[in-house]
Amino acid sequence: MTEQRDPHGSEGSGPDGPASGAAPPVPEPTVWQQLTGFRGSTTRGTDIALGVIGFALLLAIWSGLVAFEVVPKQYLASPQAVVVRLWELLTRYEFLDDIGISVYRVWLAFLLSAIVAIPLGILMSSFRIVNGLTEPIIDFIRYLPVPALVPLTVIWLGIGEASKIALLWMGTFFQLVLLIADDARRVPREYVEVGMTVGARPSQVLRHIILPAMLPSMVDNLRITLGWCWTYLIIAEIVASDSGIGYVIWSARRYVKTPEVMAGILAIGVIGFLTDQFIRWLHRRAFAYLR
Amino acid sequence: MGNDGFILIDRVSKEFAAHGKSAAVRVIENVSMTIARGEFIIFLGPSGCGKTTLMRIVGGLETASCGQVLLDGATVIGPDRKKGMVFQSYSSFPWLDVIDNIRFGMRFRDDISAAEKERLAQYYLELVGLRGFETYRVNRISGGMRQRLAIARTLAAGPDVLLMDEPFGALDAQNREFLQEQLVGIQKSEQKTVIFVTHDVEEAIFLADRIMLFSARPARVLQEIRVGDHIGTERPLAVKSTQAFFALRNSILDVTRKLALQTEKIMLQGGMSPA
Ligand SMILES: Nc1ncnc2c1ncn2[C@@H]1O[C@H](COP(=O)(O)OP(=O)(O)OP(=O)(O)O)[C@@H](O)[C@H]1O
Ligand SMILES: [Mg+2]
Repeated sequence: MTEQRDPHGSEGSGPDGPASGAAPPVPEPTVWQQLTGFRGSTTRGTDIALGVIGFALLLAIWSGLVAFEVVPKQYLASPQAVVVRLWELLTRYEFLDDIGISVYRVWLAFLLSAIVAIPLGILMSSFRIVNGLTEPIIDFIRYLPVPALVPLTVIWLGIGEASKIALLWMGTFFQLVLLIADDARRVPREYVEVGMTVGARPSQVLRHIILPAMLPSMVDNLRITLGWCWTYLIIAEIVASDSGIGYVIWSARRYVKTPEVMAGILAIGVIGFLTDQFIRWLHRRAFAYLR
Repeated sequence: MGNDGFILIDRVSKEFAAHGKSAAVRVIENVSMTIARGEFIIFLGPSGCGKTTLMRIVGGLETASCGQVLLDGATVIGPDRKKGMVFQSYSSFPWLDVIDNIRFGMRFRDDISAAEKERLAQYYLELVGLRGFETYRVNRISGGMRQRLAIARTLAAGPDVLLMDEPFGALDAQNREFLQEQLVGIQKSEQKTVIFVTHDVEEAIFLADRIMLFSARPARVLQEIRVGDHIGTERPLAVKSTQAFFALRNSILDVTRKLALQTEKIMLQGGMSPA
């Protein structure tokens, strides 16, 4: 690039040419402009602040609805009542045990379904015969509503722990395996071919290329599936159980103990939210190379 | 350069089977050629004529419908580390840093010791000028550096032939020229046989010992140009501004322009006319 001298000296901007000297700085967009601009940018701090504001607004609306009795008390408890009830449940009614058993059920079923779905999904993406044999079946079962399977699991497995785990497993496995197969299929063909042209055998391509390449999206899908597990947990615990968060919610309903029902729901929300944030945080740390 | 027929492409044809609505396409029509050890071959031809397909057949990533390819006397049946491939798109692994990407090229070799692998990793890092960037993540280096990295990884696998499919296609003119010069140097020092696909006639002349000019689809060898007979075998950058270079470029461009028109006709006949 060549530097051009202004032939008119430094007389400032004429109507027909740029001014000489340093240009004035372009004003930074304000936070407001960034947040409201189409596909604007943001910082982590403002994001968190927005999240907090969102929650605060929800709380305010909720409190308002109760305070001005827009909704009768037995239908909607106030936030304070729910929190107080949650505290009582935790300290006096061994609600922690119920939370523990629910978390245990969710994670056990989730791990069992991941342990089967990950290898099977990868095999489906790798070998046409595996895919051909299993995909139609999985697609079929996937569309069966989980509640419809409750009677069968009870007939087969009784009302013990096994039937609940089986129900959760069925609710997640058939979705997860297809997601995993898709993750593996989306690994760029070039990556696989790089492997083969540096002498990797298929098993080595799977282990050293496909697995690390699909890992970020797989972790995301696992995180989402874990959330579904909680949905099915409530169904399982409502139908046949004498413990767990779902059981607490359902028995409270019988006596229209609205604060207790909402306390149970709140507990699930908090656990889900914290787990989700934790996995996201792990994701950000482990896959920093994506950014 | 002996004439020992290191790579033999023997009457290769390729037809892609009909698939859904698309009819079967004949992409390569009875192509034969002999490539000597250490030779730099350019595949030049109109877009969509089948250059990539032919190169992938040589690399064992695609199978021929008729004919065969012999590499050092043995029929090519599948990909392995003897046929190294540098892709047009960025093919380095983002979860590995620069030096580990180079090491990956040797990961599955059992013909050399671990110490030798480490020595070679450093050697190829140096060769492609990435010293100082060892621990950089792949998506923190420029496009030109990524292609150099891909070349280093491919060389590290110890291939007999280097297959390069428009490896500099995505780069700007300056980076491209810089890499062309480096590639000429690397090929001289490594004594590799190279097959290189490009659209760019100047790139072709600058790099090639021999240019194979293909017809529109299905690809047949139209013309074989021994570039050394026109501009000599030494290739400093300055060769690009010699009279002989211009003359050769113009004569090739004459042919490729006619081919481009022909290609359009084929597309129109094939019902693939633009909207
Ligand atoms: N897997 C495939 N199935 C069907 N047709 C294919 C397949 N791969 C390539 N083709 C067709 O074969 C023809 C040749 O493709 P190829 O990629 O070899 O051309 P090319 O000469 O490398 O083109 P370009 O210069 O644009 O890269 C194209 O018309 C393409 O549509
Ligand atoms: Mg191509």
